[in-house]
Amino acid sequence: MSATDNIVSVRGVKRRYKMGDEEVWALAGVDLDIRRGEYLSIMGPSGSGKSTLFNMIGGLDRPTEGQVLMDGQDVRGMDVRQIAYLRCHKVGFIFQTFNLVEVMTAEQNVMLPMTFAGVTDGEASGRARMLLEKVGLGKRYDHRPAQLSGGQQQRVAIARSLANDPDLILADEPTGNLDLKTGEEIIKMLSKFTKEMGKTVISATHDDKMLAASDRVVYLVDGQITQIKTQAELDIKIGGIADRSTGAAH
Amino acid sequence: MTPMQQIAILPYRKVIAIAMRGLRFRLVKTFLVTCCIALALAFLTYILCSNGMTAHLADRASDALQQRLAREGMLDQLKSADKQSQTAWMLGIALLISFVGIVNAMLISVTERFREIGTMKCLGGLDSFIVKLYLIESLFQGVVGTVLGMVIGVILAYVEGVGRFGGDTWNLLPPGELAVLLVVTFGTGIVLTVAGALYPAWRAAKMEPVDAMRSEV
Repeated sequence: MSATDNIVSVRGVKRRYKMGDEEVWALAGVDLDIRRGEYLSIMGPSGSGKSTLFNMIGGLDRPTEGQVLMDGQDVRGMDVRQIAYLRCHKVGFIFQTFNLVEVMTAEQNVMLPMTFAGVTDGEASGRARMLLEKVGLGKRYDHRPAQLSGGQQQRVAIARSLANDPDLILADEPTGNLDLKTGEEIIKMLSKFTKEMGKTVISATHDDKMLAASDRVVYLVDGQITQIKTQAELDIKIGGIADRSTGAAH
Repeated sequence: MTPMQQIAILPYRKVIAIAMRGLRFRLVKTFLVTCCIALALAFLTYILCSNGMTAHLADRASDALQQRLAREGMLDQLKSADKQSQTAWMLGIALLISFVGIVNAMLISVTERFREIGTMKCLGGLDSFIVKLYLIESLFQGVVGTVLGMVIGVILAYVEGVGRFGGDTWNLLPPGELAVLLVVTFGTGIVLTVAGALYPAWRAAKMEPVDAMRSEV
Protein backbone atom coordinates (compact mmCIF):
# COMPACT_ATOMS: atom_id res chain seq x y z
CA MET A 1 0.00 0.00 0.00
CA SER A 2 1.37 3.43 -0.85
CA ALA A 3 2.13 6.10 1.73
CA THR A 4 -0.83 8.20 0.63
CA ASP A 5 -3.43 5.58 1.54
CA ASN A 6 -2.14 5.23 5.08
CA ILE A 7 -1.77 8.35 7.12
CA VAL A 8 0.06 6.49 9.86
CA SER A 9 1.86 3.16 9.69
CA VAL A 10 3.09 1.48 12.84
CA ARG A 11 5.63 -1.25 12.05
CA GLY A 12 6.82 -3.71 14.65
CA VAL A 13 6.81 -1.06 17.34
CA LYS A 14 8.13 -1.97 20.75
CA ARG A 15 8.47 0.41 23.65
CA ARG A 16 10.38 -0.42 26.79
CA TYR A 17 10.22 1.57 30.00
CA LYS A 18 12.45 1.29 33.00
CA MET A 19 10.57 1.12 36.26
CA GLY A 20 13.28 1.06 38.88
CA ASP A 21 15.32 -2.05 38.14
CA GLU A 22 12.52 -3.67 36.22
CA GLU A 23 11.99 -3.34 32.49
CA VAL A 24 8.44 -3.11 31.26
CA TRP A 25 7.40 -3.55 27.66
CA ALA A 26 4.48 -1.15 27.20
CA LEU A 27 4.27 -2.17 23.57
CA ALA A 28 5.46 -5.62 22.62
CA GLY A 29 5.47 -5.43 18.84
CA VAL A 30 2.53 -3.60 17.26
CA ASP A 31 1.70 -3.42 13.55
CA LEU A 32 -1.09 -1.13 12.47
CA ASP A 33 -1.98 0.81 9.34
CA ILE A 34 -4.32 3.73 9.77
CA ARG A 35 -6.19 4.71 6.66
CA ARG A 36 -6.75 8.27 5.60
CA GLY A 37 -10.19 9.52 6.64
CA GLU A 38 -11.13 6.71 9.01
CA TYR A 39 -12.34 6.92 12.59
CA LEU A 40 -10.31 4.50 14.60
CA SER A 41 -10.75 3.72 18.27
CA ILE A 42 -8.09 2.11 20.39
CA MET A 43 -9.71 0.18 23.21
CA GLY A 44 -7.96 -1.37 26.13
CA PRO A 45 -7.79 -1.38 29.89
CA SER A 46 -5.31 0.88 31.64
CA GLY A 47 -1.82 -0.56 31.42
CA SER A 48 -2.60 -2.18 28.07
CA GLY A 49 -0.22 0.14 26.22
CA LYS A 50 -3.11 2.11 24.76
CA SER A 51 -1.68 5.48 25.81
CA THR A 52 1.82 4.52 24.68
CA LEU A 53 0.58 3.59 21.21
CA PHE A 54 -1.44 6.77 21.11
CA ASN A 55 1.60 8.87 22.08
CA MET A 56 3.71 7.14 19.43
CA ILE A 57 1.22 8.04 16.73
CA GLY A 58 1.20 11.68 17.83
CA GLY A 59 4.97 11.99 17.84
CA LEU A 60 4.98 12.45 21.63
CA ASP A 61 7.05 9.35 22.25
CA ARG A 62 9.56 7.40 20.20
CA PRO A 63 9.70 3.63 19.78
CA THR A 64 12.51 1.53 21.29
CA GLU A 65 12.26 -0.71 18.25
CA GLY A 66 10.31 -0.51 15.03
CA GLN A 67 9.00 2.37 12.99
CA VAL A 68 6.20 4.91 13.13
CA LEU A 69 5.62 6.44 9.72
CA MET A 70 3.59 9.63 9.38
CA ASP A 71 2.74 10.27 5.76
CA GLY A 72 5.51 7.82 4.95
CA GLN A 73 8.13 9.64 7.05
CA ASP A 74 9.82 7.94 9.95
CA VAL A 75 9.20 9.84 13.18
CA ARG A 76 12.37 8.46 14.73
CA GLY A 77 14.60 10.24 12.24
CA MET A 78 13.07 13.64 12.92
CA ASP A 79 14.78 16.39 14.89
CA VAL A 80 12.95 18.52 17.48
CA ARG A 81 11.84 21.18 15.05
CA GLN A 82 10.53 18.61 12.61
CA ILE A 83 8.63 16.85 15.40
CA ALA A 84 7.21 20.21 16.52
CA TYR A 85 6.14 20.88 12.93
CA LEU A 86 4.41 17.52 12.87
CA ARG A 87 2.56 18.18 16.14
CA CYS A 88 1.61 21.67 15.01
CA HIS A 89 0.52 21.11 11.40
CA LYS A 90 -0.25 17.44 10.93
CA VAL A 91 -1.88 16.45 14.21
CA GLY A 92 -4.65 18.01 16.28
CA PHE A 93 -4.76 16.93 19.92
CA ILE A 94 -7.83 16.57 22.09
CA PHE A 95 -7.27 15.64 25.73
CA GLN A 96 -9.34 14.00 28.41
CA THR A 97 -8.77 17.01 30.67
CA PHE A 98 -9.48 19.52 27.86
CA ASN A 99 -6.16 21.28 28.49
CA LEU A 100 -7.14 24.75 27.46
CA VAL A 101 -4.62 27.36 28.55
CA GLU A 102 -6.39 28.99 31.50
CA VAL A 103 -4.93 32.45 30.96
CA MET A 104 -6.30 32.61 27.43
CA THR A 105 -9.80 33.16 26.09
CA ALA A 106 -11.49 30.55 23.90
CA GLU A 107 -10.44 32.50 20.83
CA GLN A 108 -6.82 32.84 21.99
CA ASN A 109 -6.72 29.12 22.75
CA VAL A 110 -7.83 28.27 19.23
CA MET A 111 -5.35 30.80 17.86
CA LEU A 112 -2.38 29.28 19.74
CA PRO A 113 -1.50 26.48 17.29
CA MET A 114 -1.79 29.02 14.47
CA THR A 115 0.54 31.39 16.32
CA PHE A 116 3.07 28.55 16.58
CA ALA A 117 2.57 27.94 12.86
CA GLY A 118 3.42 31.57 12.08
CA VAL A 119 -0.07 32.63 10.96
CA THR A 120 -0.72 36.37 11.37
CA ASP A 121 -2.96 37.49 14.26
CA GLY A 122 -5.68 38.80 11.99
CA GLU A 123 -5.93 35.63 9.97
CA ALA A 124 -5.70 33.42 13.05
CA SER A 125 -8.42 35.37 14.82
CA GLY A 126 -10.74 35.09 11.82
CA ARG A 127 -10.23 31.36 11.54
CA ALA A 128 -10.57 30.87 15.32
CA ARG A 129 -13.96 32.66 15.32
CA MET A 130 -15.09 30.59 12.33
CA LEU A 131 -14.10 27.33 14.08
CA LEU A 132 -15.76 28.38 17.34
CA GLU A 133 -18.90 29.18 15.37
CA LYS A 134 -18.71 25.68 13.90
CA VAL A 135 -18.60 24.02 17.32
CA GLY A 136 -21.48 26.22 18.50
CA LEU A 137 -19.49 28.66 20.65
CA GLY A 138 -19.45 31.64 18.32
CA LYS A 139 -20.74 33.97 21.02
CA ARG A 140 -18.36 32.77 23.71
CA TYR A 141 -15.09 33.48 21.97
CA ASP A 142 -13.94 35.85 24.72
CA HIS A 143 -14.77 33.50 27.62
CA ARG A 144 -11.94 31.98 29.58
CA PRO A 145 -11.93 28.22 30.26
CA ALA A 146 -13.04 28.80 33.87
CA GLN A 147 -16.19 30.46 32.52
CA LEU A 148 -17.08 27.48 30.33
CA SER A 149 -18.63 24.10 31.18
CA GLY A 150 -16.71 20.87 30.59
CA GLY A 151 -18.57 20.18 27.37
CA GLN A 152 -17.96 23.71 26.14
CA GLN A 153 -14.26 23.47 26.98
CA GLN A 154 -14.01 20.24 25.03
CA ARG A 155 -15.71 21.93 22.09
CA VAL A 156 -13.12 24.71 22.22
CA ALA A 157 -10.49 21.97 22.27
CA ILE A 158 -12.04 20.43 19.15
CA ALA A 159 -11.92 23.83 17.44
CA ARG A 160 -8.29 24.18 18.54
CA SER A 161 -7.41 20.74 17.18
CA LEU A 162 -8.70 21.85 13.77
CA ALA A 163 -6.85 25.19 13.84
CA ASN A 164 -4.06 24.32 11.41
CA ASP A 165 -6.28 22.02 9.37
CA PRO A 166 -4.36 18.85 10.26
CA ASP A 167 -5.13 15.56 8.56
CA LEU A 168 -5.14 13.66 11.82
CA ILE A 169 -7.05 14.30 15.05
CA LEU A 170 -5.81 12.45 18.12
CA ALA A 171 -8.34 12.27 20.91
CA ASP A 172 -7.22 10.84 24.24
CA GLU A 173 -10.32 9.70 26.16
CA PRO A 174 -12.22 12.78 24.95
CA THR A 175 -15.35 11.84 26.90
CA GLY A 176 -13.57 10.67 30.04
CA ASN A 177 -14.36 13.79 32.05
CA LEU A 178 -17.84 14.43 30.67
CA ASP A 179 -21.32 13.24 31.58
CA LEU A 180 -23.10 10.77 29.30
CA LYS A 181 -25.11 13.26 27.26
CA THR A 182 -22.28 15.74 26.77
CA GLY A 183 -19.93 12.90 25.89
CA GLU A 184 -22.32 11.79 23.17
CA GLU A 185 -22.48 15.30 21.74
CA ILE A 186 -18.71 15.46 21.60
CA ILE A 187 -18.48 12.09 19.84
CA LYS A 188 -21.14 13.15 17.32
CA MET A 189 -19.27 16.35 16.64
CA LEU A 190 -15.96 14.53 16.17
CA SER A 191 -17.45 11.96 13.86
CA LYS A 192 -19.27 14.67 11.87
CA PHE A 193 -16.00 16.52 11.28
CA THR A 194 -14.26 13.32 10.22
CA LYS A 195 -16.80 12.79 7.51
CA GLU A 196 -17.31 16.43 6.48
CA MET A 197 -13.72 17.54 6.47
CA GLY A 198 -12.11 14.23 5.61
CA LYS A 199 -10.12 14.09 8.84
CA THR A 200 -8.70 10.93 10.29
CA VAL A 201 -9.62 10.52 13.96
CA ILE A 202 -7.77 8.22 16.32
CA SER A 203 -9.23 7.96 19.73
CA ALA A 204 -7.96 6.13 22.78
CA THR A 205 -10.93 5.17 24.86
CA HIS A 206 -12.71 2.69 27.01
CA ASP A 207 -16.06 4.32 26.37
CA ASP A 208 -18.51 1.97 24.61
CA LYS A 209 -20.29 4.96 23.08
CA MET A 210 -17.23 5.65 20.97
CA LEU A 211 -17.61 2.29 19.24
CA ALA A 212 -20.73 3.17 17.27
CA ALA A 213 -18.94 6.13 15.69
CA SER A 214 -15.82 4.12 14.82
CA ASP A 215 -14.97 2.63 11.45
CA ARG A 216 -12.58 0.26 13.15
CA VAL A 217 -11.78 -0.64 16.72
CA VAL A 218 -8.37 -1.88 17.78
CA TYR A 219 -8.25 -3.92 20.97
CA LEU A 220 -5.01 -3.79 22.86
CA VAL A 221 -4.03 -6.09 25.72
CA ASP A 222 -0.61 -6.29 27.36
CA GLY A 223 1.06 -4.23 24.66
CA GLN A 224 -0.26 -6.31 21.79
CA ILE A 225 -3.18 -6.00 19.41
CA THR A 226 -5.55 -8.86 20.15
CA GLN A 227 -8.14 -8.03 17.52
CA ILE A 228 -9.26 -5.38 15.07
CA LYS A 229 -12.97 -5.08 14.35
CA THR A 230 -14.64 -3.22 11.52
CA GLN A 231 -17.90 -1.33 11.84
CA ALA A 232 -19.76 -4.21 10.17
CA GLU A 233 -18.46 -6.68 12.73
CA LEU A 234 -19.37 -4.32 15.54
CA ASP A 235 -22.91 -3.78 14.22
CA ILE A 236 -23.71 -7.44 14.56
CA LYS A 237 -22.85 -7.38 18.20
CA ILE A 238 -24.29 -4.02 19.14
CA GLY A 239 -27.27 -4.30 21.37
CA GLY A 240 -25.48 -6.32 23.94
CA ILE A 241 -22.35 -4.33 23.33
CA ALA A 242 -19.95 -7.14 23.00
CA ASP A 243 -16.51 -7.85 24.28
CA ARG A 244 -16.65 -6.16 27.61
CA SER A 245 -13.87 -8.48 28.59
CA THR A 246 -11.39 -6.67 26.36
CA GLY A 247 -12.96 -3.25 26.46
CA ALA A 248 -13.28 -3.24 30.22
CA ALA A 249 -13.12 -0.02 32.18
CA HIS A 250 -10.49 0.78 34.79
CA MET B 1 8.54 12.02 -0.61
CA THR B 2 8.32 15.67 0.36
CA PRO B 3 11.28 17.06 2.31
CA MET B 4 10.66 17.21 6.04
CA GLN B 5 9.54 20.62 7.15
CA GLN B 6 10.41 22.19 10.45
CA ILE B 7 8.58 24.62 12.63
CA ALA B 8 9.49 28.30 12.55
CA ILE B 9 10.94 29.98 15.63
CA LEU B 10 8.27 32.11 17.27
CA PRO B 11 9.24 35.81 17.13
CA TYR B 12 10.00 37.49 20.47
CA ARG B 13 7.06 39.85 20.03
CA LYS B 14 4.68 36.88 20.23
CA VAL B 15 6.46 35.24 23.17
CA ILE B 16 6.29 38.54 25.06
CA ALA B 17 2.57 38.85 24.33
CA ILE B 18 1.95 35.34 25.70
CA ALA B 19 4.15 35.99 28.76
CA MET B 20 2.36 39.25 29.54
CA ARG B 21 -1.03 37.59 29.33
CA GLY B 22 0.11 35.06 31.92
CA LEU B 23 1.55 37.69 34.24
CA ARG B 24 -1.63 39.77 34.09
CA PHE B 25 -3.81 36.73 34.74
CA ARG B 26 -1.73 35.62 37.72
CA LEU B 27 -1.68 39.14 39.10
CA VAL B 28 -1.34 38.30 42.80
CA LYS B 29 1.57 35.96 42.21
CA THR B 30 3.24 38.43 39.88
CA PHE B 31 2.81 41.15 42.50
CA LEU B 32 4.29 39.03 45.30
CA VAL B 33 7.38 38.05 43.32
CA THR B 34 7.85 41.65 42.19
CA CYS B 35 7.60 42.83 45.81
CA CYS B 36 10.19 40.27 46.91
CA ILE B 37 12.61 41.63 44.31
CA ALA B 38 11.71 45.25 45.13
CA LEU B 39 12.41 44.76 48.84
CA ALA B 40 15.84 43.23 48.32
CA LEU B 41 16.80 45.85 45.78
CA ALA B 42 15.47 48.70 47.95
CA PHE B 43 17.79 47.46 50.67
CA LEU B 44 20.75 47.26 48.28
CA THR B 45 20.10 50.75 46.89
CA TYR B 46 19.67 52.20 50.36
CA ILE B 47 22.91 50.69 51.65
CA LEU B 48 24.91 51.73 48.59
CA CYS B 49 23.56 55.28 48.70
CA SER B 50 24.09 55.77 52.39
CA ASN B 51 27.59 54.26 52.21
CA GLY B 52 28.29 56.61 49.31
CA MET B 53 27.24 59.56 51.44
CA THR B 54 29.31 58.66 54.48
CA ALA B 55 32.41 57.65 52.48
CA HIS B 56 33.22 61.21 51.55
CA LEU B 57 32.17 63.07 54.66
CA ALA B 58 35.76 64.21 55.22
CA ASP B 59 36.10 66.07 51.94
CA ARG B 60 32.51 66.90 51.04
CA ALA B 61 30.76 67.81 54.27
CA SER B 62 30.74 71.43 55.42
CA ASP B 63 32.95 72.35 58.39
CA ALA B 64 29.90 72.89 60.58
CA LEU B 65 28.63 69.37 59.88
CA GLN B 66 32.04 67.80 60.43
CA GLN B 67 32.37 69.49 63.79
CA ARG B 68 28.90 68.40 64.84
CA LEU B 69 29.51 64.79 63.77
CA ALA B 70 32.90 64.72 65.53
CA ARG B 71 31.28 66.07 68.67
CA GLU B 72 28.63 63.38 68.62
CA GLY B 73 31.23 60.68 67.94
CA MET B 74 29.37 59.66 64.78
CA LEU B 75 32.33 60.09 62.46
CA ASP B 76 34.25 57.20 64.02
CA GLN B 77 31.15 55.10 64.31
CA LEU B 78 30.34 55.49 60.62
CA LYS B 79 33.82 54.45 59.62
CA SER B 80 34.06 51.46 61.94
CA ALA B 81 34.98 48.22 60.15
CA ASP B 82 32.57 46.25 62.34
CA LYS B 83 29.59 48.22 61.18
CA GLN B 84 30.61 47.93 57.54
CA SER B 85 31.08 44.17 57.59
CA GLN B 86 27.77 43.78 59.39
CA THR B 87 26.07 45.74 56.66
CA ALA B 88 27.73 43.64 53.97
CA TRP B 89 26.46 40.48 55.65
CA MET B 90 22.92 41.77 55.85
CA LEU B 91 23.08 42.83 52.24
CA GLY B 92 24.31 39.42 51.13
CA ILE B 93 21.57 37.68 53.06
CA ALA B 94 18.88 39.99 51.67
CA LEU B 95 20.01 39.28 48.12
CA LEU B 96 20.25 35.55 48.78
CA ILE B 97 16.74 35.43 50.25
CA SER B 98 15.42 37.30 47.27
CA PHE B 99 17.24 34.92 44.89
CA VAL B 100 15.90 31.83 46.66
CA GLY B 101 12.44 33.43 46.65
CA ILE B 102 12.57 33.87 42.89
CA VAL B 103 13.82 30.32 42.25
CA ASN B 104 11.15 28.96 44.55
CA ALA B 105 8.31 30.99 43.04
CA MET B 106 9.35 30.04 39.51
CA LEU B 107 9.72 26.34 40.39
CA ILE B 108 6.24 26.30 41.91
CA SER B 109 4.95 27.92 38.77
CA VAL B 110 6.56 25.15 36.67
CA THR B 111 4.90 22.44 38.78
CA GLU B 112 1.55 24.21 38.70
CA ARG B 113 1.65 24.70 34.98
CA PHE B 114 2.76 21.19 33.93
CA ARG B 115 -0.39 20.73 31.89
CA GLU B 116 -0.12 24.12 30.20
CA ILE B 117 3.52 23.49 29.29
CA GLY B 118 2.78 19.97 28.03
CA THR B 119 -0.17 21.22 26.01
CA MET B 120 1.88 23.98 24.41
CA LYS B 121 4.47 21.40 23.40
CA CYS B 122 1.75 19.19 21.91
CA LEU B 123 0.54 22.15 19.88
CA GLY B 124 3.97 22.81 18.40
CA GLY B 125 5.79 24.82 21.09
CA LEU B 126 9.55 24.25 21.14
CA ASP B 127 11.70 23.85 24.26
CA SER B 128 13.30 27.18 23.43
CA PHE B 129 9.87 28.83 23.46
CA ILE B 130 9.20 27.55 26.98
CA VAL B 131 12.62 28.80 28.16
CA LYS B 132 11.99 32.22 26.62
CA LEU B 133 8.51 32.35 28.14
CA TYR B 134 9.86 31.80 31.66
CA LEU B 135 12.85 34.11 31.21
CA ILE B 136 10.68 36.92 29.85
CA GLU B 137 8.17 36.54 32.69
CA SER B 138 10.97 36.72 35.21
CA LEU B 139 12.78 39.53 33.39
CA PHE B 140 9.62 41.64 33.44
CA GLN B 141 9.14 41.09 37.17
CA GLY B 142 12.86 41.76 37.62
CA VAL B 143 12.76 45.11 35.80
CA VAL B 144 9.62 46.34 37.57
CA GLY B 145 10.79 45.08 40.97
CA THR B 146 14.27 46.52 40.56
CA VAL B 147 13.09 49.97 39.44
CA LEU B 148 10.55 50.05 42.27
CA GLY B 149 13.22 48.96 44.74
CA MET B 150 15.66 51.57 43.48
CA VAL B 151 13.13 54.36 43.93
CA ILE B 152 12.28 53.20 47.45
CA GLY B 153 15.94 52.74 48.35
CA VAL B 154 16.99 56.20 47.13
CA ILE B 155 14.10 57.87 48.95
CA LEU B 156 14.96 56.04 52.21
CA ALA B 157 18.64 56.89 51.93
CA TYR B 158 17.95 60.58 51.35
CA VAL B 159 15.28 60.81 54.06
CA GLU B 160 17.72 59.29 56.52
CA GLY B 161 20.55 61.45 55.15
CA VAL B 162 18.63 64.65 55.67
CA GLY B 163 17.91 63.53 59.23
CA ARG B 164 21.60 62.96 59.97
CA PHE B 165 23.42 65.46 57.82
CA GLY B 166 20.78 68.13 57.14
CA GLY B 167 21.14 70.25 54.00
CA ASP B 168 24.64 68.86 53.41
CA THR B 169 23.08 65.58 52.21
CA TRP B 170 22.61 66.91 48.70
CA ASN B 171 26.36 67.54 48.31
CA LEU B 172 27.52 64.22 49.74
CA LEU B 173 26.61 62.08 46.76
CA PRO B 174 27.26 63.80 43.39
CA PRO B 175 24.85 62.88 40.53
CA GLY B 176 27.60 61.03 38.64
CA GLU B 177 28.27 58.70 41.58
CA LEU B 178 24.58 58.20 42.20
CA ALA B 179 24.12 57.24 38.55
CA VAL B 180 26.91 54.65 38.80
CA LEU B 181 25.30 53.21 41.96
CA LEU B 182 21.95 52.95 40.24
CA VAL B 183 23.44 51.21 37.20
CA VAL B 184 25.12 48.68 39.51
CA THR B 185 21.88 48.11 41.40
CA PHE B 186 19.86 47.71 38.21
CA GLY B 187 22.38 45.23 36.85
CA THR B 188 22.32 43.27 40.11
CA GLY B 189 18.52 43.14 40.06
CA ILE B 190 18.37 41.86 36.50
CA VAL B 191 21.14 39.29 36.94
CA LEU B 192 19.50 38.09 40.15
CA THR B 193 16.08 37.53 38.59
CA VAL B 194 17.24 36.03 35.32
CA ALA B 195 19.71 33.73 37.10
CA GLY B 196 16.90 32.72 39.46
CA ALA B 197 14.68 31.77 36.54
CA LEU B 198 17.29 29.79 34.57
CA TYR B 199 16.94 26.48 36.37
CA PRO B 200 13.11 26.58 36.57
CA ALA B 201 12.94 27.54 32.88
CA TRP B 202 15.19 24.62 31.98
CA ARG B 203 13.07 22.27 34.10
CA ALA B 204 9.92 23.51 32.35
CA ALA B 205 11.43 23.07 28.90
CA LYS B 206 12.50 19.51 29.71
CA MET B 207 8.98 18.46 30.69
CA GLU B 208 7.52 15.86 28.38
CA PRO B 209 4.50 16.76 26.25
CA VAL B 210 3.01 13.48 27.47
CA ASP B 211 2.65 15.18 30.87
CA ALA B 212 -0.27 17.09 29.37
CA MET B 213 -2.16 13.78 29.24
CA ARG B 214 -1.85 13.06 32.93
CA SER B 215 -5.32 13.13 34.35
CA GLU B 216 -4.29 13.37 38.00
CA VAL B 217 -2.53 16.43 39.39
